[in-house]
Amino acid sequence: MILIGELSLWVALLMAVWSMTASYAGGALRRDDLTASGVRGLYATFVMVVLASAGLWTALLSRDFSVEYVASHISANMPNFYIFTAFWSGQAGSLLFWALILSMYGTIAIATSRARNRELVPWATGTLAAILVFFIATDCFKANPFTRLDFLPADGRGMNPQLQNPGMAFHPPNLYLGYVATAIPFAFAVAALFTRRLDAEWLAVVRRWALVSWFFLTIGIVLGMWWAYVELGWGGYWAWDPVENSSFLPWLTTTAFLHSIMIQEKRGMLRKWNVVLVVVSFLLSIFGTFITRSGVIESVHSFAQSPVGTWFGTFFFLATGLTIYLVGTRLRDLEARAELESMVSREAAFLYNNLLLVGIAFAVLWGTVFPILSEWWNGNKITVGPPFFNAVNIPLGLLLLALTGVGPLIAWRRASVDNLKRQFLTPAILGLAVAAALLVAGMRALAPIVTYALCGFVAGTIGQEFYKGVRARQAIHNESIFKGFIHLVGRNRRRYGGYIVHAGVIMLFAGFAGLAFKSEHDITLSTGQAFEVRDPYGRQWRFVSQGVSTSQRPDRVVQAVGLETFRDGKRLGLIAGEKRQYLDSQGNELFNPSTEPGIRSSAKLDTYVVLAGVRSSDVAEMRITFNPLVTWVWTGGYLMMIGGLIVMWPQAERRRAQAGYAAVLPPRPEAAELAGV
Amino acid sequence: MTSRRAFLRHAASGAAAVVASAGVARAQRGLTHDSSVIRDSTNLFAMDQMAAQPVRLPPKPGATPQLTDAQRDELEHKIHCQCGCTLDVFTCRTTDFSCQVSPAMHRDVMEMVKGGHSAQEIIDAFVGVYGERALMAPRKSGFNLLAWFAPGVSVLVGGVAVLMLLRRWRAKAPLAAAAGQRGIDPAATDATPDELARLAAAVKGDGDA
Repeated sequence: MILIGELSLWVALLMAVWSMTASYAGGALRRDDLTASGVRGLYATFVMVVLASAGLWTALLSRDFSVEYVASHISANMPNFYIFTAFWSGQAGSLLFWALILSMYGTIAIATSRARNRELVPWATGTLAAILVFFIATDCFKANPFTRLDFLPADGRGMNPQLQNPGMAFHPPNLYLGYVATAIPFAFAVAALFTRRLDAEWLAVVRRWALVSWFFLTIGIVLGMWWAYVELGWGGYWAWDPVENSSFLPWLTTTAFLHSIMIQEKRGMLRKWNVVLVVVSFLLSIFGTFITRSGVIESVHSFAQSPVGTWFGTFFFLATGLTIYLVGTRLRDLEARAELESMVSREAAFLYNNLLLVGIAFAVLWGTVFPILSEWWNGNKITVGPPFFNAVNIPLGLLLLALTGVGPLIAWRRASVDNLKRQFLTPAILGLAVAAALLVAGMRALAPIVTYALCGFVAGTIGQEFYKGVRARQAIHNESIFKGFIHLVGRNRRRYGGYIVHAGVIMLFAGFAGLAFKSEHDITLSTGQAFEVRDPYGRQWRFVSQGVSTSQRPDRVVQAVGLETFRDGKRLGLIAGEKRQYLDSQGNELFNPSTEPGIRSSAKLDTYVVLAGVRSSDVAEMRITFNPLVTWVWTGGYLMMIGGLIVMWPQAERRRAQAGYAAVLPPRPEAAELAGV
Repeated sequence: MTSRRAFLRHAASGAAAVVASAGVARAQRGLTHDSSVIRDSTNLFAMDQMAAQPVRLPPKPGATPQLTDAQRDELEHKIHCQCGCTLDVFTCRTTDFSCQVSPAMHRDVMEMVKGGHSAQEIIDAFVGVYGERALMAPRKSGFNLLAWFAPGVSVLVGGVAVLMLLRRWRAKAPLAAAAGQRGIDPAATDATPDELARLAAAVKGDGDA
């Protein structure tokens, strides 16, 4: 099976090359037979990549240490679960994983849109195949997962302990599903540019796949935050690490696209801009994969390093060059009849939304690559860390949050003063009330107060929209609140799903602002000794050390400190922080010891205990962190996911006449006349 | 193999864009060579246990510590650990007990605090030894100003550009422009107030749909 896998990888490369050549030729010569062959070539590539992947999984699960990839990423005593995930824990495997997802997506996208987009299919297929050629060729020539060792090691080098978390099964695949999905809109955009068919027909396909990308990127990013929080032990979920940043970048541009595409759908405007956003999202995904898998920038994630840099760089600039050429030569076809009735309209709000999202993306990219620029410019090595990203992005983020409240409420085309007053009165009062309440409660920090006031304002606008919608349904259909709510969302999935996503965003912002009140305590306790401290809410906590324990597992030695915890005199239970030393099957130590924080979560506050070191058998050094509102971040992530699902869910073609308004229309006059006669 | 790589490099170097990328790549290569990091590909990041260098200031005469423990922790949050992680000294030393760099840097901080030095003096001493990478964010001076201000300036420029674009679009909609921004001017039409109200309601309905 391993041999079949290896051979399949090479056959996949040939198939992808054929698919690319035949499809482009079919498009250029208008030969449907060539196009059909190219499409079949794409399907065949998918099958071959599946076989290659099955080969690698077989090698991993059979613990065949003669394969270099297996020997350097797992050890024999690891649970099968993590051995399965080792597929994407290294560079060669993750490139294959990219190819696997891309060929799968490509097959689905082409198979489902073939009939509707006849003109685009040859070019889209060719472009997808070209991207596949790059990934498979890189895998074959520069990072082959099937490379054999010329000796048989007794055991492998194991998987980094910090990767041995259930998150490993979900975070990387979701992120890859998101990254790779940007390739489909890119391929269709290239196809539309090639054929100069830039009208509405490609929009539906592109929007659907942009949503898929957004959905998986969102899950991937939030899961990554959660994983970093529960596994790395530094007490936070976002460090503005280059790899975190590079997953955030395509998310930002895809989010911008999902908003601006509404203007194109409604008004036919912004066509150039939307093409640019599609292309940039794809390029940023490639950039993200490159950063993650090349080790170009020092980062927690750059554990996989090898000389694929040149290949990625070349591909990146070829793709950029091609699209600049295509867009440049087709500017006139992209000209839109753009006109606007008013500066105060939803169109304008969306433009500013796009400006801010792209502005944040630029700021993040800029901060990520600036150390390289600085060293290149004058040899000055600098660190661009969280203080920079926070200072630059917080103002932009708050403006964006404010727009989240404003955008959905102002009318398309033109908003009247009356309309504004009617829509914004309640939400504005709510926002101000939140700010007043926080001031009364003694909060003095400006940024959090502004954030919570804006959260209140946006929550007000969303609540008002749902309230009005449900009331209207109740009036028309006599439905209960619950049923009205379900129908309201179900019949207007894009709109109300979008609001649910926004509600998730509010919760995220509320959680982020909570970080301003984080407090950390660096303490040393011997058995029986107690530490007392007040949390940011002013409640008294008492931690009593239960001493250090050591236990042995098949694949690790664990040292743990237990803290008996009391809040305001009430016993809450034991929080345990651990240190783990992983071992291979021969009992040799693998990696450095790793941290396993003890976390007690509640809606208000997380209590986060890290065992930082053990001095003697019963003296432990540890850090206790009070992290307010962290659970809000995870809840917000869930809400965004649910909202995204609602928006993505295929809407039945037969839309029930705009949520039931038809039911109350008077009978048609002709019908009345006829009846009268 | 070599010829393929050489061919690719030649093919690519024609484009100006690729020249830029090569420059960046060269800069990065320099980065990895200079820091002579001990690379262990099995680690989550390349940890350089030898990165700590002594940072010393002579104690001030009759020195008393000017910083409380909380202020010292606050200070350590501003100093970047040099082990290769992305964390500050306080967070690294209280998280990763395999790192020997952050405890060494912590000891230097403690010595200087004991010697009566202020937070700013201690930070300056670290920058003196390690260079600006000892800070968590670049100083706002020289070339770094570009880092700090480029994002804000480009968003401002973008904002103005969007505003101009909106104006141009509005100019293309003469009817709408004539009607004015605040709805229809009653003096300019001979419609009755009642008719105007109905029109406004219709427009509103359109907006809500």
